[in-house]
Amino acid sequence: MQTLRRPGRAPRTGSDGGGLTVSRREMLVGGIGAGALIALPDLSISGRASVRSTAAAASGSPGSGYVLLYGVPDSAAPPGGSVAVAMSPGSRSVSLPAAKPVAATLATAPVSSPDQSAVALVTVDSVPGGAKVTLTLVESATAAVQQQGSVTITGIPEGTNIVPKPVFAPGTTTIAVVLAVTEPSDQRLVTKRNPRTGAAVPMQAVTWTSHHELAYFDTSTGHVTGPFSLDNAPALGLTTAAANGSDLFLWSTAEPQPISAEEKRKGTWKAPLPWLSAFPLGSGRARLSVPSPGPWASGEPVVTLASGDVARLVNGRTVQVGSARTGEVTQTTIAPLAEIRAKPSSLTMQSRADGTVFITKPGIGQAVIVDPSDSFRVTAQVSYPVPAAPLSAPSSKAVLSADGKTLYVVGGAKAGGIAAYDVSTGKLAGSYSSGRQYSGLYQLASGTLLTLTPGNPRLEFFSQELSPIGTVSTSLLVSAVY
Amino acid sequence: MAGYDTAGEIQNTYQAAYDEFGEDPGYWIRYFSPSPAADVFNSDPTAECEGAWASGGHFVGCISAPNQSDLDGSSGTGQLDAQTFAAAMLSAYNTVGPLDLPSNSELWAFLDQEYNTSLSTSYWNAWANYIGNYNFAGLGTYPLFPALYCTPDSPWPNCSTIAAATGIDIPITVWSAVPEPCGAMKDQPAFDPEECSTYTSSKVPSNLWQFGEQGVCGYSANVDLDLANVVFADYCFRVLSDP
Repeated sequence: MQTLRRPGRAPRTGSDGGGLTVSRREMLVGGIGAGALIALPDLSISGRASVRSTAAAASGSPGSGYVLLYGVPDSAAPPGGSVAVAMSPGSRSVSLPAAKPVAATLATAPVSSPDQSAVALVTVDSVPGGAKVTLTLVESATAAVQQQGSVTITGIPEGTNIVPKPVFAPGTTTIAVVLAVTEPSDQRLVTKRNPRTGAAVPMQAVTWTSHHELAYFDTSTGHVTGPFSLDNAPALGLTTAAANGSDLFLWSTAEPQPISAEEKRKGTWKAPLPWLSAFPLGSGRARLSVPSPGPWASGEPVVTLASGDVARLVNGRTVQVGSARTGEVTQTTIAPLAEIRAKPSSLTMQSRADGTVFITKPGIGQAVIVDPSDSFRVTAQVSYPVPAAPLSAPSSKAVLSADGKTLYVVGGAKAGGIAAYDVSTGKLAGSYSSGRQYSGLYQLASGTLLTLTPGNPRLEFFSQELSPIGTVSTSLLVSAVY
Repeated sequence: MAGYDTAGEIQNTYQAAYDEFGEDPGYWIRYFSPSPAADVFNSDPTAECEGAWASGGHFVGCISAPNQSDLDGSSGTGQLDAQTFAAAMLSAYNTVGPLDLPSNSELWAFLDQEYNTSLSTSYWNAWANYIGNYNFAGLGTYPLFPALYCTPDSPWPNCSTIAAATGIDIPITVWSAVPEPCGAMKDQPAFDPEECSTYTSSKVPSNLWQFGEQGVCGYSANVDLDLANVVFADYCFRVLSDP
């Protein structure tokens, strides 16, 4: 059970065994993954329903819910977490269901399903003769494991790095998993000049070579198909991927190789373009593969459109749409996002149930809703003050309410706090600030808003009317919320 | 000497910067892949080098700004981000004939860690090791040196992470984002960046300082202003002629 605290009091420093504590040592076991996922009760629901039992909250019944927090443990933070409930209407000192650890040593950040009802998380473990990749599907409302399956990659040398990327295929029970497999070779002793001393010092050098493999996880059975090697070495490990109901679409890039001095002098070398390939779900053989305009796949936002086409947001302003039928890529620059500044901005892009797409670029204080079926026409636009650190993690600094009527944003660099805008008019509808600068903002399934800050209490809950509900301190450095 | 950093393309930025500040920069610092929100140098390095040549700032420093949520991730993620960064620098080098390594074979390669971003030991060590270990262009000189752009007084792990690094994983320098007294190319503050040693046991010096950020200082040109206490151009790509 967590201890409840009023805002403004120092977080507790002793260990309370409440489940919010995750040790760094625990996270680094195996050295493959560092991230952890913990489930925290939605404070607003717990506060409202003081008579609700923990069992009821965990049952997945309407109104119950957990917040899934992803991050790494802060070795400098207090070993124990604490939860506080603010004195605001609808909240009081109550007994909260305990937070619980869900997973540790995650290889990559979890991925939400298109309907936000579940998250997929992946671990990679060394096993004799290879590496075991395990995908776990966790129900968001209950934080309960729904399904789990694994596949073993064999024939890889010791020290191979495997980075998985789960990709939900909307409308199916399939989750594709793109595996970047990076193998060491040609280990050798070389010398490198130490610029601090000028001396040549010995160094163990290794050549790393990446290729990709695909696997497919059936959420109804836990069965995994694959892995299928794409035999595309040497490739850059980073990819961009999305899926529709029939295909996995993958942007990948060949790794450039050294050229001769003569070839460089001639200036005839051409940089590799990314290629967009479509793989029928369950298959390791592409049905199409075509060159795509740059830039290289680098973790840019990507969505599946209602048409089944896939779209990625590049350069912070241009949507590249890959045709599901032909792979042909067309580009549209979104005018309100075209402004460039000296520093890049974090970005988010989300498909909405009505077929429109929500995009926000906090670095220039812009959010738009665009209609892909109408040449990405801007149907709504909101301007808001640029937050203090628009490129920092997490990327979620502005969220659109489920009904599309309200935009919630972290406050600007001067005021801090949070603000709400009427999407139909673009006008400020409300704001709240205690002077704190929030680094991220999420809206939970209950409608409650959740903000992140660097120092404890790291989490603050607000009502949709921007009233404070409560705060939570944790030793986890939270980098994403699900 | 002062220089500029920018997420825009040099060829589309230098004239506005000259109009505002009235001086040629000593160098440019440009974003390379993976920097998913920026215009990356390696997308059109010939035009960028033409811009650098025309600007009078014939040196290009290198930074990569991966998704910031990557930076508290695993060693595998750090390695993949570094792989793409190194490949992007090689791609630009291969493409542009007169783009050359620094004469001292010491090219500083920065990772962008923003204020509210946490840098894990797993990520940094893998990222830095790949950069330091990269056999650039097959030359056998291993000329890339990992470096970190950060805000030393941020409450998130940054300086403490690099303080724990060993061997070639130790960054060659820190590029400090603070303080921000602003100023101009002709009106530079005395060199006084924040140091990691103020907050941690890290001995990595801040040799580069972003003393004027566009958003904070109200510059109209899409540039931030930087100052070094070393000849920073010596650690940048050199544009030897107009490509």
